[in-house]
Amino acid sequence: MKKLEDIPKKDLFKAPDGYFDKLPGIVQARVAKPEAKPIWMPVLKFALPVLALVTVGIFWFSNPTVQNVETELAGINTEQLMAYLDNTEVVWEEPEADGDWSEDDLLELEDRVYSTFSSDGSDLELLNEILDLENL
Amino acid sequence: MSKGTNPTLPLEDKDLLSKIRNPETRNYGFNLLVRAYQQRVYGHVRKMVIDHDDADDLTQEVFIKVHKAIDGFREDSQLFTWIYRIATNECLTFLNKKRKRFFLPIEDISGQLAGKLDAMPELSGDEIQKKLQKAILTLPDKQRAVFNMKYFDELSYEDMAEITKTSVGALKASFHHATKKIEDYLTAD
Repeated sequence: MKKLEDIPKKDLFKAPDGYFDKLPGIVQARVAKPEAKPIWMPVLKFALPVLALVTVGIFWFSNPTVQNVETELAGINTEQLMAYLDNTEVVWEEPEADGDWSEDDLLELEDRVYSTFSSDGSDLELLNEILDLENL
Repeated sequence: MSKGTNPTLPLEDKDLLSKIRNPETRNYGFNLLVRAYQQRVYGHVRKMVIDHDDADDLTQEVFIKVHKAIDGFREDSQLFTWIYRIATNECLTFLNKKRKRFFLPIEDISGQLAGKLDAMPELSGDEIQKKLQKAILTLPDKQRAVFNMKYFDELSYEDMAEITKTSVGALKASFHHATKKIEDYLTAD
């Protein structure tokens, strides 16, 4: 068997002449040079904000914040609504008078109100009770 | 001395590191480091990849990685073993990538490297050296690195253990097996 120690050790892999004189400068230049950024980086710099704005716009217009008031009210529990109205000071505006009421006008109005009452007179009795209470 | 500093770090290394860590002398210090270690790094890399152009690319990459990572060097190992570790890892990664790129098994990449040996004018007429190099190329990459570090670079097993993060015992066994395989190859013809 051939032994390793019988073979003289030789450094066979020589670098080309002058290689080690140039290498530190080459490495230094590569280290000093900033990392090359991909060419699409400047494009992305502008494209990303535009894309973000478009996305927000689409989201905004596909989900309108102002919705139908009736739809909104339909979603509220009646008891909650009553509680809200009880606890809120509601100011009723006085209707503007558009002229003096004549005696005929008042009689006509009275007739219209009484004509809506039931024929058995129960509504009329109820109304008289209310009026009696207010006159106390 | 900061916590974790290696008291056995050679004076030249300490001097280099202090220059590199000073912003005013950083470039000068790094230039000195490259000059101090370039021949050993190139020699180690060249023995692994055989081709000069590949060795040149990898040597540059090693020093660029050293530059990036030097601030994190903890001084609990020698600067030389730390650089040597980076160089060894670069070589192993390069050979693995080459193998994957060309879908080559281990034997074929050894054959490709042996072909480069045949084309080297330095080896013309020196048949025994050429045969020794071809025998070394039959070893798996890691075992080849271990063999080169021990046989050619004459590193201690302790330094090799630091470089490879392997036990001294495992390295001794690896070198012993490598030597036997090479001697078998040399006596095969």
